[in-house]
Amino acid sequence: MHIPDGFLDPVWCIITYLISITYFVAGAKIMKSPLTPGKVSLITTLAAGIFAAQMLNWPIPGGTSLHFVGGALAGILLGPFYGSTALALVVTLQALLFHDGGITTLGANLLNMAIIDVLIGYYIYRLVVAKTGFSKKTVFIGGLLGGWMGIFIAGVACGVEIGLSPQFPYGVLISVPAMGVWHFILGIIEGIITGSVLFYIASKNPELLVGNVR
Amino acid sequence: MIGWKTLLVIITLIIISPIFGVILADMVGYHEPLDVAAEMLGLHDISEKINWTPFFDYTIPGLDPVIGYIVSGFIGVAIIYLIGYIVRKLVSGGGK
Repeated sequence: MHIPDGFLDPVWCIITYLISITYFVAGAKIMKSPLTPGKVSLITTLAAGIFAAQMLNWPIPGGTSLHFVGGALAGILLGPFYGSTALALVVTLQALLFHDGGITTLGANLLNMAIIDVLIGYYIYRLVVAKTGFSKKTVFIGGLLGGWMGIFIAGVACGVEIGLSPQFPYGVLISVPAMGVWHFILGIIEGIITGSVLFYIASKNPELLVGNVR
Repeated sequence: MIGWKTLLVIITLIIISPIFGVILADMVGYHEPLDVAAEMLGLHDISEKINWTPFFDYTIPGLDPVIGYIVSGFIGVAIIYLIGYIVRKLVSGGGK
């Protein structure tokens, strides 16, 4: 999911940087829920947990690998903007310190994992729980669907970005199906992990979740 | 959620991570859908050519890849907590 340096055209690097920067600047201005020390601690802990979880790369029989991304989980627990902030902290650190994901492609990686994955995951979860009421079961289902669709859509977006870069516009016919099919399947695992973590939290610390559905 | 239990989970994840990120990755060959799509398009990863960090791809110079992976994980988590600590101070000290 981390696009390395060299995969994107300079134009798309700039466009995705602009989109990501705009999102975070606008989000910070619009944000009504104030940043409290408790919120900072939650963002920090979740970012650290997601960073650690992303280091577990699972080989999948059939020729591919995956790692947990955590965008939907962050969005659901922190709300969309702070969820994006947590993911942005992880993705940026990975790029700057470990060169996991490029510096030229940081804008695209932020867009895919810290914005699209978070927002899709959060709003699908919110829709599910709002429709069916809050319970451990609905939280699991909301997390499953949010995590799944978050990864799928982020994967498609990633496919669009790399597909449009070198072979504009025909590359998308190759990359979008490849990314879309794989991430539709792999997203199920992200969904199950997301749903399971939320189920556990709904059992132990439901107040972390209830507040975000209002 | 915030507390020693969460920290214990994070530490455990980091300690077992080389099994997946290094050992199995070398054994099976780490290959994401993105890599598959990139091959189909003929894209080239230039990360190593323009690299600036000694911790490239979660390695530490002079250390065994497995140990380096674990140390990288702890460095990453420590920096995240440091940033969180600083921001928390700023938030506490400021208004609201």
